[in-house]
Amino acid sequence: MIELEGVTKKFGNFTAVDNLTFTIPQGEFFGFLGPNGAGKTTTIKMIVGLYAPDSGDIIVNGNNIRSNPIEAKQSIGYVPDIPFLYEKLTGREFLYMIGGLFKIQKSVLHESITGLIEHFEIGDWVDKRTEEYSQGMKQRITIAAALIHNPKTIIIDEPLIGLDPRSAKIVREILQQQSRNGVSILMSTHSLAFAEELCDRIGIINNGRLVMCETREQLKVEKAKYDGNFESVFLEITRQ
Amino acid sequence: MLIHILRYKLLSYIKSTFDRKPSSIVRGIASLLVFGGFAYTAYLFSAEVTRYMLAHAHTGLYLFHTFVSMILFVFFVAVNLGNIIVSYSTLYRSMEVRFLLTKPISFTSIFILKFLDNFFYSSTTLFLGAFMMFLGYGSYFNYPLHFLVVIMLFVFVPFMFLSASLAGLILMAIMKLAGKIGFKKVLAGIFIIYLFFVYIFFEKSNPTMLVENLNRFIPDIDAYISQMVPGFLHYLPNQWVAEFLYYSARGDMAHALPYAGILITVTAVVFGACLFVAHRFYYKSWLISLQVQPSAEISHRRRHIFDFRSKSIFSPQVEVLLKKEILTFLRETSQWVHLLVMVALAGIFSVSASHINLMRARVIDLHMIIYLVLFTFGGFMISGLALRFVFPMIGLEGQAFWSLKTSPVKQSKIFQLKFIMGFLLILIVAEYITISSSVPFIRATGGSRMLIWFGVFNAFWISFTTVMLSLGFGGYFANYFEHNPIRAASTQGATLTFLITIIYLILIVIVIIVPVSALFSKGITDRYSSEALITLPGALLAFVSGVLSVFGWIIGQRSLKKDF
Repeated sequence: MIELEGVTKKFGNFTAVDNLTFTIPQGEFFGFLGPNGAGKTTTIKMIVGLYAPDSGDIIVNGNNIRSNPIEAKQSIGYVPDIPFLYEKLTGREFLYMIGGLFKIQKSVLHESITGLIEHFEIGDWVDKRTEEYSQGMKQRITIAAALIHNPKTIIIDEPLIGLDPRSAKIVREILQQQSRNGVSILMSTHSLAFAEELCDRIGIINNGRLVMCETREQLKVEKAKYDGNFESVFLEITRQ
Repeated sequence: MLIHILRYKLLSYIKSTFDRKPSSIVRGIASLLVFGGFAYTAYLFSAEVTRYMLAHAHTGLYLFHTFVSMILFVFFVAVNLGNIIVSYSTLYRSMEVRFLLTKPISFTSIFILKFLDNFFYSSTTLFLGAFMMFLGYGSYFNYPLHFLVVIMLFVFVPFMFLSASLAGLILMAIMKLAGKIGFKKVLAGIFIIYLFFVYIFFEKSNPTMLVENLNRFIPDIDAYISQMVPGFLHYLPNQWVAEFLYYSARGDMAHALPYAGILITVTAVVFGACLFVAHRFYYKSWLISLQVQPSAEISHRRRHIFDFRSKSIFSPQVEVLLKKEILTFLRETSQWVHLLVMVALAGIFSVSASHINLMRARVIDLHMIIYLVLFTFGGFMISGLALRFVFPMIGLEGQAFWSLKTSPVKQSKIFQLKFIMGFLLILIVAEYITISSSVPFIRATGGSRMLIWFGVFNAFWISFTTVMLSLGFGGYFANYFEHNPIRAASTQGATLTFLITIIYLILIVIVIIVPVSALFSKGITDRYSSEALITLPGALLAFVSGVLSVFGWIIGQRSLKKDF
């Protein structure tokens, strides 16, 4: 469960996120949409502890990310928008490193990593240094790393960047499976179709403010007001 | 085309250096103060050393310039090695080169761009330091300012440029050889050649032997000493600079100018050769560099000592953080090669220091001065090591740092582990240097341990403080986009940190002068009884070091809490 209450973040005179409030209940798949520079990544970075909000509270699974960061982070699986990895480590070593940071027992970790390697079909190159990887390979490793500790909440920023159709299918299936298992997911994406297909609820942010937050059913009603396309709704809402 | 690109690079540099944010202005003023302090200290130091050597110790002009030549040799080799290592990263591994190669720009232009980039980026502080040293040196001879500017431009700059050009040539030769026999073999070969060359230089130009032989020729030192300088030294650029300075000091410009002429000519020829080879071979060597990178595939069946799957005595978080640090260090060629070079230099210094024969210098004051010089030089080496390997530790996490920052691990734990790793490395080298440089004093006085214990105590605090300051400031000035550790250790922030540690070292030298002089005047015996004379400065040293360390710790902790 993720709760944001009046969260604001400024960079100098520019307000990136402006008094943002929303809640994602446990088990919900939440799509977070918005044009470039709307504040999606800034919001996500505040939720996972990479940015400190100027005001407001962020509670992840009952823990405030600022006052109880360790407990909050323990329950989060995060996939960044650009999958930077330690270039001199192999994919397998990176996964073991993340497992160690989450204090997973070696035997459990070994089984978990073996399963993830099989699931993500990365066995052919997981023992190469990540400096050799393509964008898609790196993306698969970061998603695998986010799942290694069975998180209660997954926060994923632009999951489809650099993925080929086969990889995209794998990611889609995994996210759906996690959602069915009761994991709450916050996914930022530019793919309206992807969001529409997977998400229980969709929020649109523009100029740092949440300008729309609708369930799948409510979205159908909104779409009917236009030409039945989500794209038209999105373009109209984010016009300013 | 070259001018066009240089113009935009300059514009980018100016915009990023002189922004108008209040924090940047405060930082700029602080930098100015530290740089100013450093410049003035370099000036005073140089002026005092020149005055002491020539007016008090009556070294004689030629012997003094022979020492200058030795310092210039070390400088030449250091600049040369540094340029080889930095150039490898900038010429063969940088993203900018990859970008430029896709544009209609000649390979030679790209080479020149990156060559100049290296040269000016890593040499700004050296130029400032050298100029102030020349000013200090020149003040003894009452040289006018314009003459010193001319020396800088037409003697010192060509001298450094020659070293950098040779580095460019050597690097391309390394790439050529690496394509045939492998990277590691070539690096090992180069390493051995450099060590051999440094050894031969100091063996043949042994200062102790020189001083010893000199006594036979008193009072006509200058007339005879030049005959004792081995012939091969006359072919080295450091000797040309020293000879130029020597004849200038005598007012004999007719003899001085040819040395400047030789230097400028040889520099032009070597730079020309470098460009010619670059024109023919740079792109080919760039392609070779893609093939000769160490094998990136690691067998998951064979377990090595730092394998993440192996059991460990540490907690899971500490274990993986340690293994990550060690593996990323060992797999980055420029890291372990440079560490080997610097440890080898520390080794040469220690071996040389431990072989100094103090029986020749019977005056106690001279013992103390030699001890303080060795102490300062050792401290300087430790600061250099800390700057090179500890300062970049946080910045080198790079953009992958998100994976640690979003994990349930305390930021202070990350900082502590980095500190411990850096501290242990520096402490071992520092204690080794301290103990080996104390050996001649123990030998001279019949075996006291007091000096060693005092040195061990000082080395501990100096290592602790320089590592803490380097790590803390390294976090504060961290540039997570810089992948090159050497460039990270040559930024303005790094230079500022280095200057702060140098000021700290000067403070320490001032603090220990009293106990050291007391120790020497009492003959350095174990029966030394006036404990207050040693405990008070010791406590003061610990206090100053402690305060600075806490400062470094706070800065480091705050830097880790900044937005990422």
